[in-house]
Amino acid sequence: MLARELFDIRLILRKQGIIFAYSGYVTEAVLSGVGEAIKQKLVIADADTKTLRGVFAVFVEQMQNMIRYSAEKAQSSPPLPSDAEALMEIRYGILTIGQENGDYVVHAGNLIQRSDVERLRERLSKIRDMNKEELRALRKERLRGGPEEGSKGAGLGLMEIARRASKPIEFDFTDVDDKHVFFALKASV
Amino acid sequence: MQSLSIPASIRTPAIDFDFGNSHFKLSGESYPEDVTEFYHPVFSALDTYLATLGPGSCRFDFELIYLNSSSAKAVMMLMDKLDAAAAKGATVDIYWFYDEKDDSMRELGEEFGEDLENAKFHLEKMPG
Repeated sequence: MLARELFDIRLILRKQGIIFAYSGYVTEAVLSGVGEAIKQKLVIADADTKTLRGVFAVFVEQMQNMIRYSAEKAQSSPPLPSDAEALMEIRYGILTIGQENGDYVVHAGNLIQRSDVERLRERLSKIRDMNKEELRALRKERLRGGPEEGSKGAGLGLMEIARRASKPIEFDFTDVDDKHVFFALKASV
Repeated sequence: MQSLSIPASIRTPAIDFDFGNSHFKLSGESYPEDVTEFYHPVFSALDTYLATLGPGSCRFDFELIYLNSSSAKAVMMLMDKLDAAAAKGATVDIYWFYDEKDDSMRELGEEFGEDLENAKFHLEKMPG
């Protein structure tokens, strides 16, 4: 039973074309370790340099977004004082790398606050619908200007994902509970 | 000024600031855990040097394989400092070396180069 159950999980992933999957708390150490594996071609072996760097770049931005924004956080016990809690926040997410119709695809998913859905949807729709020139102009403007409201990374990460992607980015939301929505972002390289 | 030399790590670039020869270099990959913490001493060292440069000349080489979106902001700030020194009369040459196998780094270099008004910008393939 034990082997069968785990093997079934592996089969489900394989059927969806998934080569690599991580589900759990996302930290900078996880980013470093998995990032190294990607660079050493342990995750995707047959990609050319441009594709490999594109997958790597999308992976880094997806991970950093989850590390900063996932609404699902580790609970410490006993609870920490609020200033220490801000430093200790560890967040939960899922990230997969796979193949689909000849492209490599990076999926990332995490919980977000329901109140953030509309703002995120609006920001992503705008980026998705831009051509490369428009994206370039917006990125430049954001590099020069300050961060967007509610953003800790100047919104640049999402633009970098779109810039590296070979097709328009895709995103979706699904309800989890009163307060939370699961957010998924897909980029093909 | 004493040279500033920081070896590259997995997530941070090598810094070689040779103040004696007015030659600066940033090379490797940049996706630090904390961009502000990593670039703060780099900015301070460059600020101190540029404050006394006057009409002198200097050269800055960027030989980057990869930089994440928050590092791009730090690189833009370095370029702005160099461009400001050039506006005050210094001769500043900025070289952006790119790997020809990865056109997104060439494009990024072009974007930075477009914004320079006084420093001279050179876009070149990485040797080898």
